[in-house]
Amino acid sequence: MKRKLAAAIVIAGMMVSVSACGGDDGNDSKDAGPESWKGQTLTVWTMDGSAPEQWTKDVQAAFEKKTGAKVKFETQKWDGIQQKITTALSESTPPDVLEVGNTQTPAYAATGGLAELGDVKQQIGSDWTESVSKSSVYDGKQYAAPWYFANRVVIYNKAIWAKAGIKDTPKTRDEFYKDLETIGKKTDAEPLYLPGQNWYFFDGLTIGQDADLVKKEGDKYVSNLGDPKVTAAMEIYKKYASYSKAPKDKDEATPQQATIFAKGKTGAFIGMGWEAATAIQANKSIEKDLGYFTVPGETADKPEGVFLGGSNLAVAQNSKKQSLAKEFLKIALSDQYEGQLAKLNGIVPNKESLESNLKGNAAAEAAAPGAAVGGTTPLIPEWAAVENSPNPIKSYMTSVLNGKSPADAAKQVEGEINKRLAQQN
Amino acid sequence: MSVQTEGTDTAGKPAVRKARVPAPPRGADGASRASSRRGAGVPYLLLLPALLATVILLGWPLVKNGMLSFQNLNPRQLIQHLTEWNGFANYREVLTEAEFWHVVERSVFFTAANVVLIMGAGTLIGLLLARLGKKMRLTLLVGLVLAWAMPVVAATTVYQWLFAQRFGVVNWVLDKLGWHSMADHNWLETQFSTFAVVTLLIVWMSVPFVAINLYAATTTIPRELYEAASLDGAGAWKSFTSVTLPFLRPFLYSTTFLEVIWVFKSFTQIFAMNEGGPDHLTETLPIYAYVQGVGNQHFGVGAAISFLTILALLIITSYYLRMVLKQEEDEL
Amino acid sequence: MKRSLIGRIWPNATAVVLFVGFVFPVYWMFATAFKPTGDIITDDPVWFPTDVTFEHFKKAVNADNFWTLVLNSVTVTVSSVVISLVIALFAAFALARMRFKGRRGLIVTFMLAQMAPWEVMIIAIYMIVRDSDMLDSLIPLTVFYTMMVLPLTILTLRGYVAAVPKELEESAMVDGCTRAQAFRKVIFPLLAPGLMATSLFGFITAWNEFPLVLILNKANEKQTLPLWLSQFQTAFGDDWGATMAASSLFALPILILFIFLQRKAVSGLTDGAVKG
Repeated sequence: MKRKLAAAIVIAGMMVSVSACGGDDGNDSKDAGPESWKGQTLTVWTMDGSAPEQWTKDVQAAFEKKTGAKVKFETQKWDGIQQKITTALSESTPPDVLEVGNTQTPAYAATGGLAELGDVKQQIGSDWTESVSKSSVYDGKQYAAPWYFANRVVIYNKAIWAKAGIKDTPKTRDEFYKDLETIGKKTDAEPLYLPGQNWYFFDGLTIGQDADLVKKEGDKYVSNLGDPKVTAAMEIYKKYASYSKAPKDKDEATPQQATIFAKGKTGAFIGMGWEAATAIQANKSIEKDLGYFTVPGETADKPEGVFLGGSNLAVAQNSKKQSLAKEFLKIALSDQYEGQLAKLNGIVPNKESLESNLKGNAAAEAAAPGAAVGGTTPLIPEWAAVENSPNPIKSYMTSVLNGKSPADAAKQVEGEINKRLAQQN
Repeated sequence: MSVQTEGTDTAGKPAVRKARVPAPPRGADGASRASSRRGAGVPYLLLLPALLATVILLGWPLVKNGMLSFQNLNPRQLIQHLTEWNGFANYREVLTEAEFWHVVERSVFFTAANVVLIMGAGTLIGLLLARLGKKMRLTLLVGLVLAWAMPVVAATTVYQWLFAQRFGVVNWVLDKLGWHSMADHNWLETQFSTFAVVTLLIVWMSVPFVAINLYAATTTIPRELYEAASLDGAGAWKSFTSVTLPFLRPFLYSTTFLEVIWVFKSFTQIFAMNEGGPDHLTETLPIYAYVQGVGNQHFGVGAAISFLTILALLIITSYYLRMVLKQEEDEL
Repeated sequence: MKRSLIGRIWPNATAVVLFVGFVFPVYWMFATAFKPTGDIITDDPVWFPTDVTFEHFKKAVNADNFWTLVLNSVTVTVSSVVISLVIALFAAFALARMRFKGRRGLIVTFMLAQMAPWEVMIIAIYMIVRDSDMLDSLIPLTVFYTMMVLPLTILTLRGYVAAVPKELEESAMVDGCTRAQAFRKVIFPLLAPGLMATSLFGFITAWNEFPLVLILNKANEKQTLPLWLSQFQTAFGDDWGATMAASSLFALPILILFIFLQRKAVSGLTDGAVKG
């Protein structure tokens, strides 16, 4: 599978016609048409932090005006979400529309729990960026609509960096190391907050090293963690982690790294642009010290690889309001509201033409160069099982940080990863 | 697990009751016999609701679980409501996996260690309660009851805070006591220390039950037994082994049985503490079943593991169950 | 026999140490909840909350639907405890006082039933409830919590029923009561403390349960407090003040109930001892 999306992003607009959405009108005759919409209520699951209040309000209003039906947004917590979605999709009254992580979409598409959205794609998706739309295509059919994407940047505390006497943000990885060292020496701040299990940052590093996490053996995918390229990525991670006192066995969400950063005793952390808002919420006075820069790569001309995370919106196959749900997608993903979301959340929208909304957003501007060299996790249905908690790659990371050799650590989790990859559907 | 309460009423415990009446003239009771002959159906009628509940609410899930364990059940089958029988494939997969046997071994050791600690500490504290003056006894009782009553979800959270790497009070104390390497110690980093914290939590919340009930049981020992023993010239130790211990034995048996079950089944304490980590190394059978089944969405395999978990529990407790069967024969 | 000075001191000294050991976690929970964040995140612990704040409690109570969840938890817990007590009382009476075929088998059945590891049967239960169209409802929760506590309730109550002197029941029957009347007028009042003590187990089990409600009830307004607490902890993992405030709120009802009922149960015991 191809994980490099750089080229794809650039030429995306030209490639849309490639996607196979041919000849499928879908059978959305599960429910009656527009005339029955009035008085219905559509349930939409969005993840914690995805949909800003202003956006939901505006979309709600537009949706009600157009269809006469109501829409109810229910915010879901990330913790245990896979189990929640799986069970929900099996029920007779699932949420009608739901946000699904881009790396998990192929797996859910393969279960048959998601409705086919070929017609939506045809009507509003002709200019979706191919690279971000790719995760919602399974077996040649569109099972979700790309919603938003984001990649990590370095969020730093300008006051601390100034105190350490650093003037410019680093352009290469070595410069970054040196800056962190300086902060450690000259200030009493923790140079970097990087818990041992920020696995998506690690995934970005593997993308930067051009490494593959899985390889094909016969007709099966197996772990490729022992690969020297993966090891190289892990060594970089280890070096970064050496500047941090963060727990080696926790990820960036427990505790929320932004709330640690908000205390003003941390030089920098690697996170999503919107995490800055979390920090500000925890401590207003941090706002003036916030700065962003692209994660620097080996050389100044190419930033570090990043995981291009994101979410798609899907319609549950068991939903009895399919046409209404599709109508919702058309409104929520329209240029107006997709653009608004990009502006509000500083995320990469599903169309290049909407990226102008990011102007003036420091975090998004820092993210943009990274997005160009971004990638994802392996886009195979089998992959989602690997990321199930407890994620063996996180165990691998913790083991290496605790002193195990990468080869041994890889061997230790290989069995578990292969087992998960081999799971029948 | 947690708390439990057959309470301070030890007289009510079947085991103790039996001990109190060395040769009970039970069953030699004309009235009850006559009445039960008159309404032979009455006991069944009284038991009907309990039996129905057990059959429907426990039996049905058990049977369903058993059926699932013979199916290939993953998200696709669950979502599309498909039934794909696959014979013993799930069992074969689980039983041939080294991991499973490690988990079994770990569960047994974990249970044994905890139960020994709980019963040992509980018995000693119970005997101590009997020795204390009134005020001191009441104080200690209050402390025990507070620990006993802490809901497990809250208790687990509190222990995470006590043992937190940063600003946790335990690390601070160890540091001040001169063990400076513990200042920033991460308790959940290794298998052993995670188990240590979990064990401390479980022992802390289980000891009060044993201690309080054991104390209450000692108060029902007839004084005359001690007097008779001392007339025979028995010292403190002798009267303990010849009077106290035999009297408490049935109580100790039944409590051990309950503790074995509770510790073996403990889920929240381990799962909420560290989700069976690091590296799955603190997964006991219930956690393993949950992680494989629900976590990995490999539901059929999870069902097979849970069936095996129930089997393991049966084997472990079979000795006591046999004893109960025999004992009940003698009664009534 | 006179005890030596050391002989008198060590039990008390041990008791004090034990008391501190058992109480400290509970104390630390409440203390942390009342301390301003600055006193929680310190290099040296602040042992007593000197300037008390309610800010953490406010944060905890501010969660969406908090009061709905409280109501749900109370409803589910109280109903399952009451239902299980009623069912168990019938069963316990039969098992303790009557002779019939299959009695032994039934006792062992209930002993086996109380061994059931519920957490590992979750998917089976989920599928049953889903296929009965009962998701997002408090009824299945109540029903299954009832079953979780029923076996032990039966076994415990059986002990209490057996402890009530048979002669009392018989003399009542001699006075012309039917067996049912004798039960209601004589045995039941004597059993009350036992019932209360037994109910504690049910309260704590139902109040604490969370894997089942997690999978059965996805709608926020149908969930219970343990879910709130665990989600709170994930969201505010590092905010120990708020987490401890939430834990305190969660633990408080059970702590109060326990101290209250435990007293009753103890006095019941002494009553029983006098009469027995």
